Amino acid sequence: MTDQTRPSAARRLIDLCIEYNFIVIFLVVVIIATLLSPNFLTSGNISNLFQQAAVTGVVAVGMTFVILTGNIDLSVGSVCALCGMVVAVLLVGGWPIWAAILATIAIGAACGAVMGAITALAQVPSFIVTLAGLVSFRGVTYLLTDGVPVSGLPASFAAISATQIPLFPGFSLSSMAVIFLLLCVLAGGLLRLTVVGETIYATGGNPEAARLSGLSTRAVLILVFAMSGVMSALAGILLTSRLRIGQPTAAQGLELDAIAAVVLGGTSLFGGRGGILGTFFAVMLLQVLRNIFNLLGLGSFYQMTVTGLIIVAAILLNRFIDLRRGRG
Amino acid sequence: MRPVLELQALSKRFPPNIVALEEAHLTVFPGEVHCLLGANGAGKSTFLKLCAGAMMPSGGDIRVEGRAVTFRSPSDAARAGISMIYQELDLVPQMTVAENLFLGHPPRRFGILDKAARRRRALAALARVGATFSPDVMVGSLSVAGQQLTAIARSLTREAKVIIMDEPSAALNETELKSIFRVIRELTSQGVAIVYVSHRLGELREIGNRVTVLRAGRTIETFDVAGTPDSVLVDAILGDKRALVERHERPALSADVVLEVDRLTGADGLDIRGFDLRRGEIAGLTGLNGAGRTSFLKALFGALPHQAQMRLKGQDYAPRSPTDAIRAGFGLVPENRKTEGLMLDAAIYKNATLPAMQGDFWTRHAKRRSDAVAVLRQLSTKYGHPDQKVIQLSGGNQQKVVLSKWLIKGSEILLLDEPSRGLDIGAKADLYQLVDGLSRKGASVIVASSEFEEIYAACDRIWVFHEGRNIACYNPADTDQDTILKCQILGERPND
Repeated sequence: MTDQTRPSAARRLIDLCIEYNFIVIFLVVVIIATLLSPNFLTSGNISNLFQQAAVTGVVAVGMTFVILTGNIDLSVGSVCALCGMVVAVLLVGGWPIWAAILATIAIGAACGAVMGAITALAQVPSFIVTLAGLVSFRGVTYLLTDGVPVSGLPASFAAISATQIPLFPGFSLSSMAVIFLLLCVLAGGLLRLTVVGETIYATGGNPEAARLSGLSTRAVLILVFAMSGVMSALAGILLTSRLRIGQPTAAQGLELDAIAAVVLGGTSLFGGRGGILGTFFAVMLLQVLRNIFNLLGLGSFYQMTVTGLIIVAAILLNRFIDLRRGRG
Repeated sequence: MRPVLELQALSKRFPPNIVALEEAHLTVFPGEVHCLLGANGAGKSTFLKLCAGAMMPSGGDIRVEGRAVTFRSPSDAARAGISMIYQELDLVPQMTVAENLFLGHPPRRFGILDKAARRRRALAALARVGATFSPDVMVGSLSVAGQQLTAIARSLTREAKVIIMDEPSAALNETELKSIFRVIRELTSQGVAIVYVSHRLGELREIGNRVTVLRAGRTIETFDVAGTPDSVLVDAILGDKRALVERHERPALSADVVLEVDRLTGADGLDIRGFDLRRGEIAGLTGLNGAGRTSFLKALFGALPHQAQMRLKGQDYAPRSPTDAIRAGFGLVPENRKTEGLMLDAAIYKNATLPAMQGDFWTRHAKRRSDAVAVLRQLSTKYGHPDQKVIQLSGGNQQKVVLSKWLIKGSEILLLDEPSRGLDIGAKADLYQLVDGLSRKGASVIVASSEFEEIYAACDRIWVFHEGRNIACYNPADTDQDTILKCQILGERPND
């Protein structure tokens, strides 16, 4: 018994590497990138990496919640674009920045909550509900201004994403990247330290056992979709702030990047297993890959092909680990 | 006459040590309706699966028209002329009747699906079973009886010589059953043999020619239905050398009524009247499969839609969700601990404290660990560390984790659905000893089990369920086992 419960230090290190294989993969890719290009491991480039990863990263954090319950949210790209437009329209309409942001977040939450309610109460698969959301919210986005981008935003709004925050001497991150990091910490804390977080895991792990243990599984579903909506709204606000215009065609295909990152980070599509740490490293990994290709001067066609292959390889690796552990 | 199907000394073992079938024999002649009887766990299902090729026997012979055969798959059995109609009909509801009839063996011409021939042959098969619906309707739109006729017609399209029907009457009403019987008589007059499984003696008398009784994985005897009185059949089902069950010493039944159910109704004919539970009582629910025990417990727990008039400690009680029931002091140990009771991949202490933590904000892992450890020790659960995944525990210890959920929560009324399923003898005894201890501390317990001996040994009162109703309530201290068992099989109080 003690052998099983107290394995040797080496065995535990191996177990940790398998459990957190996404970190190992990330470090390997970083080492390769450093060897390939002397420009990779510079503070400017690292700061860039975080800045570029922030929008997808914020959305992926929300997506992690949804996928942990065994559902999926395909609407995030459209909600992100819708909220990016809404905040621009409100600001141009003369709303103070804080009010515009709060209203936009509320709209994002409402979009998510409605889809979550349909999924939970009418028991329609979330794939279909959020597919409808993907189409409809994009339509509403275009309707807002008849498809015309909104410009003329106040300069102070741009500061939300672009302010450089020095973290330690010689290294600073943009406020956008810092917001992404903060959201990761908050989301990770929510999942690991609060009862709500554990209820999300339980609902994804075994919905029937959760229900029979008195957990309100329906409320949890509505909550995770609302949180995904809030995250999409925040991503939309950051995007508009960075682009300095409200762009109705923005964030197309964002849902696929986010889902790829969540799954690559080891969160099971069946729910119940995974977490924010994996999502964070996967988002950064995908960004590093893009960065390597740019530094090497390889075009986006190569990027797309190789990114797809790496996702498949990582998923097969996780599947293999699961089978070895007898969870197959 | 030569038998169409012969099963000789069939056995089936599931390693390492479960013997589902020991020595089963069955001889079926063309044109007869051969009934199969047996109590829960007698081995009927295993026996049928072996006949239908859904499982391979560990030993023994299967002969079809005198020829020894080996069925590696259900299609082997179908080719040999053995067709099985499962209780949960295996039809595709979204496809038409004609498509279902020829699923897997559609008529072809030059390799291409011959729809005209399929429709023609479907019409012929439907006519043989006296079906009045068209082959073009969706199976999902038919009544259960219509679907059953479709399943029988499908056996005919495969030229079945033996059709095995597993409890066909379970989902049918009186008139529908009559029409199925008419079809059975028609088919047997054409030489098809029917193996009919049911636990209703009345049906057996109406349709059966001969009956084979299984008990504990063995064929006990084959009788002619006419001329064999019910009492002989019941004795064969129950056996006369039952282990003498030693009843536990129990305190006298309290007069303090905790739960009072005037009437509770629900789906599938669930209709419970005049049920009550006393403080510190262990009440047992017994009955054949499908008698409504699980539905009753789930309804009490708010996990199943129902209408009810009931009171909990004098207050009206109407749970609309498990959350309501848990707040009122109920706890359910569900029938299937792996799919309903536990998150197998999560830590022991997380499972154990899942209901208790509701309403908190922080997870407070340290406190939950110590709460779980304290209660699990009380239940003498064997585990390595509270952070261990619950999947690594043995069945008995997993069941203790499920039970601990409600002890940590402080539930006063425990509903245990098949709590001993999959446990070895030691773990079972251990479990009932725990339940006894809990009841002495004031918990009221309802145990539903198909293991009659357990209920008889442990409970203060035994309620017999039959087809959704509670037909009798016995005090095992002054009633012998046979009386209760007969009541369970006959579906009425035996007049003695």
